Amino acid sequence: MSTRKIGEVILKVDNISLRFGGVKALTNISFDVREHEIRAIIGPNGAGKSSMLNVINGVYHPQEGTITFRGETRRDMDTHQAAEQGIARTFQNIALFSGMTVLDNIMTGRNLKIRSSFLEQALWIGRARREEVENRRVVEEIIDFLQLQHVRKTPVARLPYGIKKRVELARALAAEPSMLLLDEPMAGMNVEEKQDMCRFVLDTNEQFGTTIVLIEHDMGVVMDISDRVVVLDYGRKIGDGPPDVVRNDPEVIKAYLGAH
Amino acid sequence: MIYREAGQFKTSYLEDGQIFPIRQDRIAVALLLLIAFVVIPLAATPYFFSAILIPFLILSLAALGLNILTGYAGQLSLGTAAFMAVGAFASYNFMLRVEGMPVLLAFVLGGICAAAVGIVFGLPSLRIRGFYLAASTLATQFFVVWCLTKVPWFTNYSSSGVITAQQVEILGFTFDTPARKYLLVLSIVCLLALAAKNMVRSTVGRSWMAVRDMDVAAEVIGFRLMRTKLTAFAVSSFYCGVAGALYAYCYLGTVEPEAYNLDLSFRILFMIIIGGVGSILGSFLGAGFIVLLPILLSFIVHATGLPNQVTSNLELMVFGALIIFFLIVEPHGLARLWQIGKEKLRLWPFPH
Amino acid sequence: MQFFFEVLIAGLLSGVMYALVALGFVLIFKASGVFNFAQGAMVFLAALTVAGLKDEFGLSLWAAIPVAMVVMIALGFLTERVVLRPLVNQHDITLFMATIGLTFFLEGLAQLVWGSNVRKLELGIEDVPFEAIMESTGMLVSQFDVVAALICGALVAVLALIFNKTKIGRALRAVADDHQAALSVGIPLQHVWGVVWAVAGIVALVAGLLWGARNGVQFALTFVALKALPVLILGGFTSVPGAIVGGLIIGASEKLAEVFIGPYVGGGIEGWFPYVLALVFLLVRPEGLFGEKIIRRI
Repeated sequence: MSTRKIGEVILKVDNISLRFGGVKALTNISFDVREHEIRAIIGPNGAGKSSMLNVINGVYHPQEGTITFRGETRRDMDTHQAAEQGIARTFQNIALFSGMTVLDNIMTGRNLKIRSSFLEQALWIGRARREEVENRRVVEEIIDFLQLQHVRKTPVARLPYGIKKRVELARALAAEPSMLLLDEPMAGMNVEEKQDMCRFVLDTNEQFGTTIVLIEHDMGVVMDISDRVVVLDYGRKIGDGPPDVVRNDPEVIKAYLGAH
Repeated sequence: MIYREAGQFKTSYLEDGQIFPIRQDRIAVALLLLIAFVVIPLAATPYFFSAILIPFLILSLAALGLNILTGYAGQLSLGTAAFMAVGAFASYNFMLRVEGMPVLLAFVLGGICAAAVGIVFGLPSLRIRGFYLAASTLATQFFVVWCLTKVPWFTNYSSSGVITAQQVEILGFTFDTPARKYLLVLSIVCLLALAAKNMVRSTVGRSWMAVRDMDVAAEVIGFRLMRTKLTAFAVSSFYCGVAGALYAYCYLGTVEPEAYNLDLSFRILFMIIIGGVGSILGSFLGAGFIVLLPILLSFIVHATGLPNQVTSNLELMVFGALIIFFLIVEPHGLARLWQIGKEKLRLWPFPH
Repeated sequence: MQFFFEVLIAGLLSGVMYALVALGFVLIFKASGVFNFAQGAMVFLAALTVAGLKDEFGLSLWAAIPVAMVVMIALGFLTERVVLRPLVNQHDITLFMATIGLTFFLEGLAQLVWGSNVRKLELGIEDVPFEAIMESTGMLVSQFDVVAALICGALVAVLALIFNKTKIGRALRAVADDHQAALSVGIPLQHVWGVVWAVAGIVALVAGLLWGARNGVQFALTFVALKALPVLILGGFTSVPGAIVGGLIIGASEKLAEVFIGPYVGGGIEGWFPYVLALVFLLVRPEGLFGEKIIRRI
């Protein structure tokens, strides 16, 4: 597929269990993600895929297990820590800031690069002004990359669904993440939009070397672009490996087709 | 035809991000400032200054403060007047107790005290939202007014609880006539409005809006919820505090804590609903509307020969009905109507 | 110690009145998710209508009450039609602000029609100590308060009966559970909301009569609504028993605080003490005593 080199393990989740009251969302999940790879998480609805992403970037706190990111082992992540260490993500149900323009939404992705205080920003002097321009330049590059020039100043609430998904990706990329978590980036899209989105995901991975963990229902897409696949069902891991292996795994086939 | 941006190309990001990107707008704003600073002081009557212009400007500033918190950061507050009271009484005490305190510094310190109170009462916003937060800000309102009434130190042991604001003097120049007070208020309001605009177009403003629109996503991309919300409370309360001090020093002159009651808080809330939630221009439009409406109503009531008492009740009804009307018909208020008008003007006379 | 109990009982009984106002809030909040800030204005309007009809038109109490009831029911349906229906599916904060607008409108309307003077309202129940209790224990317990508590209890019983046994009650509970689902099984949502607002209007009338008889019918009645807010925080916004228990706790604790703490800090702490109590509670248990725990999903 490409010449990029898959590196060492960058993220390792170990024996993660997550419960909401009496409901078990995840049970003893372990897997790892290597640097620069595209790792897919698949499984039927309610299998715990989104919960898994939420555990990785600290939105949910698992009751058991550990997460190792870049060699540091933790009981659980903290959202802010995750962001600071270069984990960015998109959400299943678009989580854009609906009252803001596309440009402002993407600019929020740069917030961790801002050093000036709110007082400097209020006075619009020196550093604050310089940072605004510098970050705008980076954001414009991303706008170019994802072909969003024409909607730059449009409030996101007015955009069609497919474009919103792209803006969300742009906002995540603005943080220059080392790892990108994508929650169903292609759900609800038509074939063309899906192709575009696939292209963007692959380009991101190739050009910036971003490690990608992705949840997707479209098996064609998953088998095409991912290096390795984790399969979840009822909060348990039932398969793990390269697409070809997973595809022929009897356990996985059973979960998907319900055959005995 | 006249109002059009064709031919005005932006060649840098700084130019593209300026406050008024269209040249005609910049000319209009310059003209407006010229009128406000030069023409009005020469032309207006003292009544016009003290009954309309000064309260309009001061309440605009308070509305701007509330708009930062409610409109931009999405935290509903029913305690605006309490923060104004803190600003006013803090400024009074700084002037009273510190020898040679410059009055502008006293206003700033009053604002900072209000900001500190804002941070304390903003703390619950980290755990609660919506109505619960509204209840918590109501508590602020009652508690602060109670405190200022009950602790005699704040009012310098005045037996009636009423304080008389000191003479406003800056560098030997006394602001004692309505026209002079107007100019002082106008300058302060313009500077703070500019600062507010700068904030909302920078990262701090984006952090407020991000938390307002979707707090979980804001947290995930790296904003700290606590810092963001408390900054909003602090900045908002600072603005309200300065407005409160001006309200005492340049408008009322003699004040009791009860002047900053729940009714004033509601009035300021109405200003931002009618003017435009999440809009700096809207704060001014709303304040103008709410200041002028009672005057207009009493004029009508007078002309029709109804008893005077009708005015205040009619005022309540009209306010109430207008709030509901705006929430239903134009939730973004007068500012949005203004914007729509401008868009139409840009296309005129060839709308297709 | 006897004094303590006297204060406690007086507090509990005035808490019953808070509960009555809070009950109106809970009804509307449960059915439509609207936090009705205008409940206090409704109490004021209802009481003023009864008092005004008596004073200005010479109606007897028993003739004035049904008329006021019709007014409140009409108001309920009208509010649903004019305010709520156009705002359906809006943010709950928007709806809340709309009810603040409604508050101002009703306050202006009530005083425009009936004037701004304080009116007396006689219900024929005297505010004197219960002799039986005084003789047996030596404590002063107001007869009026006890009757008010009984009326409140009866009202809650009737409401419970309506909710649990009638068709409209079932529809109401369905709507409270899930608007969409209720609509999809053919429950006329708007009609149910109209009914709930009308019932809340009647609850406001009862509260208005009792409060008005006690303190005089005056503008200050609208502040009762502000007291109901901490009651709701304590009890949870969706729970009828919560409103009752919350009302009792707030009533009792504010009286006790005023009498036993007030003198040390200059008095008048009744105004904010309930809020502080409610806020402290809020930090420990955000969903209230009886409220449902809210799990936010993303």
